[in-house]
Amino acid sequence: MDHLTALENKSIFIIREAYFRFRNIAMLWSVGKDSTTLLWLVRKAFFGVVPFPVIHIDTTYKFPEMYRFRDEYAKKWGLNLIVGRNEGQVEAGMGPGKGTKLDCCNELKTNALKQIIEKNGFKALLLGIRRDEHGIRAKERVFSPRDENFKWDYENQPAELWDQYKSTAAEDNHFRVHPILHMTELDIWKYMKKENIPLTELYVSKNGKRYRSIGCAPCCSPIDSTASNVDEIIAELESTHTSERAGRAQDKEDAYTMQKLRSLGYM
Amino acid sequence: MDLSKKVFVLGIDGAPQTLLSEYAEQGVMPNLKNILSGGYSLIQMDASIPDVSSTSWASFMTGVNPGEHGIYGFMELLPNTYRLAFPNYASIKAPALWDIIGGTSGARASTLADKFKGRVPNTLRSIVINMPETFPAPALNGVLTSGFVCPDLRKGTYPESAYEYLRSINYIMDIEASNASDKPDAFFDEALIALQKRAEAFMHFMDNERWDLFIGVVTETDRLHHFFFDAARDKTHKYHERFVFFYTKMDDIIGRVFERFMASTNGRGLFMTMSDHGFAPIRKEVYLNRLFVEKGLLTLDPVREYFEQVGAGSKAFVMDPGRIYLNYEGRYPGGAVPARDRGAVLSEIKSILIDLKDSDGNAVIKRVYDGTELYSGNESGRSPDLVAVGNDGFDIKGNIKKPQAFGTSHFRGMHTRHDAHCVMPSGTAPLGRLHIENLASIILERFI
Repeated sequence: MDHLTALENKSIFIIREAYFRFRNIAMLWSVGKDSTTLLWLVRKAFFGVVPFPVIHIDTTYKFPEMYRFRDEYAKKWGLNLIVGRNEGQVEAGMGPGKGTKLDCCNELKTNALKQIIEKNGFKALLLGIRRDEHGIRAKERVFSPRDENFKWDYENQPAELWDQYKSTAAEDNHFRVHPILHMTELDIWKYMKKENIPLTELYVSKNGKRYRSIGCAPCCSPIDSTASNVDEIIAELESTHTSERAGRAQDKEDAYTMQKLRSLGYM
Repeated sequence: MDLSKKVFVLGIDGAPQTLLSEYAEQGVMPNLKNILSGGYSLIQMDASIPDVSSTSWASFMTGVNPGEHGIYGFMELLPNTYRLAFPNYASIKAPALWDIIGGTSGARASTLADKFKGRVPNTLRSIVINMPETFPAPALNGVLTSGFVCPDLRKGTYPESAYEYLRSINYIMDIEASNASDKPDAFFDEALIALQKRAEAFMHFMDNERWDLFIGVVTETDRLHHFFFDAARDKTHKYHERFVFFYTKMDDIIGRVFERFMASTNGRGLFMTMSDHGFAPIRKEVYLNRLFVEKGLLTLDPVREYFEQVGAGSKAFVMDPGRIYLNYEGRYPGGAVPARDRGAVLSEIKSILIDLKDSDGNAVIKRVYDGTELYSGNESGRSPDLVAVGNDGFDIKGNIKKPQAFGTSHFRGMHTRHDAHCVMPSGTAPLGRLHIENLASIILERFI
């Protein structure tokens, strides 16, 4: 079995396990490349039909290309799409210009999702996160319990040896299930190429720039790139040393810079 | 190998020509005095406008004006917004000295690079230590570690082996300036340690790398000046001795690198020290945004942050240090000045600034420059509309939160434009007053 097929088999196994054990589940679809790949795998796992809702958390700040893509494929693939929006905060004008970026993410993403889980009583959510995205994600489990406050207790997690996944938890917990945790950014692109998975045009180069990671428009910056198709993206990734989220990692450096400038009397 | 085709530049951030001259005379800096009596001149030099380190160092490293290199300060607003952004090395549009002689200019061009195209080799190696405004470190032909602001030493250093070395000596990227007021002794201690680490790194790379151009920068001088410039000449000041002691250590380093460089080039290399601006004691800080509010040019929405406070209908606002931007229609979300009103609004602001006096009747502003007279090049479209330069003692600030137009704080020194310095062999400087943009040409001439 080749590498990509092995990865696919493992993902499909996890997806079927999750559906079998929890039944009342949903998946999160950000419309980015990872969760679109996850959605593709879910469709494969259930022979073209997605047997549970697909949640899109809409901060109202996503790129227009993302909304177009979402609506097109939700229809084409017959998805039971739930659009989650923290209406109260959206109406109150929450956004990256109001409060800190952390407040904005908290209200428009985290709390929007909490509201949906509460309303629908989902026992588990499928997410398209990957271990190689960020240091802390390397510690993630495939079946990862969360408490009612969404807290992830990474120092107290079940072992997952020999593909044995723990799926019982306290009453008010839910599980995050990560079917593509074992894939790398490059695996995703190679798999997308192999399967010809559709993706939003934000990922390919336009005027010398492309997005390597997408989220809300105000908080994402494109990278310099001339990669105009999946083959060129793969070639670029094979030769790059900067991290995928570098375009989204400005906040930490900016905070340091601000503190430094302030200490010298600027700003 | 032609030993005359080697250049060593020691950058001393914020070191004023007047103070160095006094310290050399008074015996605080015997090595400097020795160098000066051996055929070198200590020349007073003009810094960039505005006289802020990011702009001035960018002018030094590219040899062109901000209208070409694109750095007008430590912060900018993102296009079509009032949101802050922090320009870094990637924002510099002109090739730096090390790009021009190292063949790494890529698509970047400048009037200076054009002037030397084909006249200097493009295979020369540079070592650049602690150069402000070079984060993240570019892949140059040589070694570079970024100076202020450098949030991450690894990302700020090229190549990886240089990072490993710096980490191994516990190199200090930048000292903790916030210690200056509540833990002054710790602040001085750390400044001395950081200075020693810089010197250690200079010596290491001088000896262990092959290079043609070496630029080593000390930034601790600037930090000391910000908080203790009043101690520089006042013998009764509690920290006068510590301040002077720091300069004796600085002088040691000048002497050591000079001797080492001269020994390795049989006295034929080009040696220079320079600073990106001078310093003067502060009498008052001047908050122009507050003045603009009082004069009805600016309204602020206090629930917002930084420049997002700029209210609809505002005519102008100020960013550090004295960069004045008109709130143009079509350029900013709350833009209120149509392009046809430019002349009228600019003259209104100029007359307000020129008339500005402190409570003792002293004139605050030395000169108000028009952006169009200062800058030329592809990046001049983003330039400030006006730049206000204060008289010595009046530190012009872009702070947007101050309740009064004048104030004082724990800062004791302010940048000056006219009192930067350069030490170079007598007869090397062009005729007329030396400007920081001239140095790159002088350096490149050596490599012809």
